[in-house]
Amino acid sequence: MFPNLLHPRGYMGALALLALLAVPFALQSPFAFHLAVLVCIFGALATAWNIVGGFAGQLSLGHAVFYGIGSYAATLLVIDFGITPWLGMFAGAAISAAAAIVIAYPTLRLRGPFFALATIAFLEVCRLLTVHEESWTGGSAGLNVPLNIGLQWMVFREKWAYLLIAFGFLLVTLWAAWLIRRSRFGFYLIAVREREDAARAVGVNAVKVKIGAAVISAVLTSMIGSFHAMYLTFIDPSAAFSLELSVQIAMFALIGGLGSVAGPLAGTVLVLPIAELARGWLSSFGSGTHGFVYGVVLVLVVLFIPRGLVGHLGAYVLRFIDRLPGARTPAPEPAKSIAPADALPLGTPLLKAEHLKKRFGGLVATDDVSLTLHAGEILGVIGPNGAGKTTVFNQLSGFIRPNEGIVKIRLADGTWAEPRTPDAFAKDGIGRTFQIAQPFAGLSVLENIMLGAFMHTRVRMEAESIAREVAEITDLTSLLDTEARSLTVGGMKRLEVARALATRPRALLLDEVMAGLNPADIARAISMVRRIRESGIAVLMIEHMMQATMALSDRIIVINAGRMLKEGKPSDVVNDPEVIQAYLGKGYLDAQAA
Amino acid sequence: MSILLQLLVNGLLLGGAYAIISIGLTLIFGVVRVVNFAHGELLMVGMYAVWLLAAKLGWHPYVSAVPVALLLFALGVLIQRFIIQPLLSADAHIQIFATVGVSTALVNLALMIFGADVHPVDVSFGTEHLQFGDINIVSGQLITFAAALAVAGGVHLFLQRTYTGRAFRAVAQHRYAASLMGVNVKTTYVLAFGIGAALVGLASGLLVAQYPVFPTVGQYFVLTAFVIVVLGGLGSLPGALVGSIAIGLIDSLAGYYISPDMKEVVYFAIFLVILVVRPTGLFGLGRGSE
Repeated sequence: MFPNLLHPRGYMGALALLALLAVPFALQSPFAFHLAVLVCIFGALATAWNIVGGFAGQLSLGHAVFYGIGSYAATLLVIDFGITPWLGMFAGAAISAAAAIVIAYPTLRLRGPFFALATIAFLEVCRLLTVHEESWTGGSAGLNVPLNIGLQWMVFREKWAYLLIAFGFLLVTLWAAWLIRRSRFGFYLIAVREREDAARAVGVNAVKVKIGAAVISAVLTSMIGSFHAMYLTFIDPSAAFSLELSVQIAMFALIGGLGSVAGPLAGTVLVLPIAELARGWLSSFGSGTHGFVYGVVLVLVVLFIPRGLVGHLGAYVLRFIDRLPGARTPAPEPAKSIAPADALPLGTPLLKAEHLKKRFGGLVATDDVSLTLHAGEILGVIGPNGAGKTTVFNQLSGFIRPNEGIVKIRLADGTWAEPRTPDAFAKDGIGRTFQIAQPFAGLSVLENIMLGAFMHTRVRMEAESIAREVAEITDLTSLLDTEARSLTVGGMKRLEVARALATRPRALLLDEVMAGLNPADIARAISMVRRIRESGIAVLMIEHMMQATMALSDRIIVINAGRMLKEGKPSDVVNDPEVIQAYLGKGYLDAQAA
Repeated sequence: MSILLQLLVNGLLLGGAYAIISIGLTLIFGVVRVVNFAHGELLMVGMYAVWLLAAKLGWHPYVSAVPVALLLFALGVLIQRFIIQPLLSADAHIQIFATVGVSTALVNLALMIFGADVHPVDVSFGTEHLQFGDINIVSGQLITFAAALAVAGGVHLFLQRTYTGRAFRAVAQHRYAASLMGVNVKTTYVLAFGIGAALVGLASGLLVAQYPVFPTVGQYFVLTAFVIVVLGGLGSLPGALVGSIAIGLIDSLAGYYISPDMKEVVYFAIFLVILVVRPTGLFGLGRGSE
């Protein structure tokens, strides 16, 4: 729940934060206090933005919407109803949460520049509406916060009081970001950011996760906005709903390092004082100086350190900190079994597809395919290129909805479920891999596997021990700390399997896990599939490596042109004339006969 | 009736002013696949250049349009070569931040050099009122509209008839395949960005006759240009032209029938609906939700 302050990472972090308080109190200059308040406010805003922009990878350039809602809500409640901003900020937060859902839901599908443009449009609409609704918002002239001095009204004579409150907001925001980054929710956010499909395959509900991040970020941003309005004692639409402010907070997060907890604050601490000082030194140049510094720094950062301060320097700093007294790694917990959470007796039907039919425009990709996978068996699916194997596979895991027919999964209690979305399939016990490996490239192998493990546990340590166990089965133990992007093809394919296994499925669907491997990796993969079956998991595999399929499968289904051609024992299927014809053409058969 | 007719004419002509800016934006996106958030600031730079030429040398903005277009071509080439090109394979968010950074730096540079003052340019040619029956038109608007049509036609001919134009279209469709056919992709990018910026230079010469110059003038126009280009379909030339006229008409009608300060709300609302319902726009390439 809280960072461990006895660990060097804990106490060094706390000391660094306290320096933010200590320096202005030591200097006792109003400018130092002002600067520290600004650093706290912008650091908190950037940290809150990072939950959406960094963790979830949704580049919002309209985050001032929530800041503006917070500042207007608190100010209006003080002016019109005499309600203290300590309560008013929660009203603002509630409105912002609702606004975040309204904004996030329709824009979820948008990526990159389109999402950014949509958030800018929302910001502009809010600003224009605030200007337009002059009767109660004060219009473009803005509003003055009544100067009732006192803690109750969040208005003070002395700057140090503001600093303490701003520091409190910063701590709360950092704590929220820290909790998220460590939690299952945080892992899911990163998974969705990196590869939405792969995330859905391990049971992540992408929509829910993205909206959750947007709401948390909006609530925090809004509350900081409420406080900032009291600090400024004046708000107007162009400053509260400002594109410039939105860009600034996103920029601080980028400079510090997107997706890390400490990054956004580090970026703020580095850039904001320089820009504020430049404003003073170069005041003869007029008002644009600090903005110019921001722009130039931003361009330099994306060109030379695109991963930000934490991304490029974080590892060195951590290595240094971890040498300080108090650092020790906790012993990993004893591994748990990866056997399915609830196994069915061997031979019972587990996964049933009945009369699947799928059309893509005029093409019938799947034409009346029915198949059953039994507990404990290995079922091979073969067929020539373009036969529609992967389309069937995608229907069995929920990535494509069939036009006709149904897919049913037997649950532990014997009832049949008919899930509809990929994450529901995963939760009902279907694990799958992708033909083109989809690792979460920025995460380590261990973290990749943990993503799957999080489906059955919220506890980090437990997920980690499941992941270690799975790594044992999939020959990945020695690579656990490697970044997924630097694995070989064979390693990536095994990682695909590992991530699916970690969801503790009852049935595992493997899509060409042996394609493109060298002979040594193929041998490893074959023994891996055997170990998986031995642990009680049914396997359905699409494979072009005939020897491997023949050696492993209990039964084989041949698909050609979207239809089921043959079903039977491996030895029967390979000698079937129809099957040979499908693969090699009629001419081959005639030549053999002749 | 005559009011409606006047509003329609105003909207149509306003669309012409947006069209030149939007064609540049859509050309850059279509070929380079980068959304240029600094597009408005290029316009701002161009308008300051036109204003300086008018104030110091007494050049008419329409005359300055040509040298300023060349100046902006050079600026566009530099931005593409030294800022966008190194980031071509980087994540989308890095590219966005790069152009946002350029935009922030340019706005504030203008603020430092010229201050926040609003500078109008006094011209006689281009501001006369022409009367056609009940309809009143400012001559500069008519000239801008004619120029917009000429630019759209010129860019269309360039894309269809010249080797470089075909190279643009080839790169827009598939950069690797184009490079296998001997097209120099990097040069094409640099040229596309330069031409997109040069069109903005041309637009600034035409606009200064009617609009004053100030540091954030670019933002005013470019947000509208984004709406237009998304409406028409990012990367589509006919989309940019049709989108411009549509937004010009909406601007003019909503400003009169709803409220002058709500017209932007109307087209931002349309923008959001388009983004959500049909992110590829009216004539798009089908990459909106990618």
